[in-house]
Amino acid sequence: MFFHIVLERNMQLHPRHFGRNLREHLVSKLMKDVEGTCSGRHGFVVAITGVDSIGKGLIRDGTGFVTFPVKYQCVVFRPFKGEILEAVVTMVNKMGFFAEAGPVQIFVSNHLIPDDMEFQSGDMPNYTTSDGSVKIQKDSEVRLKIIGTRVDATEIFCIGTIKDDFLGVINDPTAV
Amino acid sequence: MSGEEEENAAELKIGDEFLKAKCLMNCEVALILEHKYEQLQQTSEDPLNQISQVFEKSLQYVKRFSRYKNPDAVRQVREVLSRYQLAEFELCVLGNLCPETAEEAMAMVPSITTKGRFQDDYAIDKMLNDLSMIKKFE
Repeated sequence: MFFHIVLERNMQLHPRHFGRNLREHLVSKLMKDVEGTCSGRHGFVVAITGVDSIGKGLIRDGTGFVTFPVKYQCVVFRPFKGEILEAVVTMVNKMGFFAEAGPVQIFVSNHLIPDDMEFQSGDMPNYTTSDGSVKIQKDSEVRLKIIGTRVDATEIFCIGTIKDDFLGVINDPTAV
Repeated sequence: MSGEEEENAAELKIGDEFLKAKCLMNCEVALILEHKYEQLQQTSEDPLNQISQVFEKSLQYVKRFSRYKNPDAVRQVREVLSRYQLAEFELCVLGNLCPETAEEAMAMVPSITTKGRFQDDYAIDKMLNDLSMIKKFE
């Protein structure tokens, strides 16, 4: 799920940027440093939408660098266990399939794909029901439930399932 | 950490910080990111270089999965859903997935039946009906 939250960060600025454009330098450095990063606690920082306040700077002993506490608003993407969302299938193999929901990768193991769907290899590997009516392959859109997240310092990885009511393929790219 | 072990969106356990934060539906994120993308294109000579992979992937994703394209419709969805005493997170899951039946809605958002907010399935159906009307007249 996407959230709009306020975060705080201490920004270090080199003395050469001190002057009229100090604020602009600070904001552009903030965007460069923060956008696109991922933390286990807040998820992926997608975009900064505004800067609330810039606190008083503190001069570092010995270096002349100044640290400013900056409060900013941003859009983050944070997946949760138990959350249901839609995703695009990116890769299918006999172990299961990978899907992407925005910046996050989700793996659905073949144990968590309904039992009536069989793996078919070939140049377009896919999972298909015995009557051929439902097919999961690359670029399919699926609705899945996140059952586990693995969070490390710079990445979030999810395990999902489509073995539940109202989950599974929502659109088949070959059907269009 | 014990707090993280208990995380479960189905029971609305997403941590205090996120529970109080403003959730965004995919269609709202699409509006924000597209606006920001346009701004970048105007102000920077090399916009592609400025955009992170996370931004690009998110933009593609929300464009693909936005139920409502028109900004007025997006505003209406939030307005309609906010009449039903939903938590931010519940509201956004409903807005993103647009379930068609009460049964589907309860499967998508199991926490919806707690706190006695909906007397019966009809009450949920009514809300879903309101939602689909916005889509129809978009």
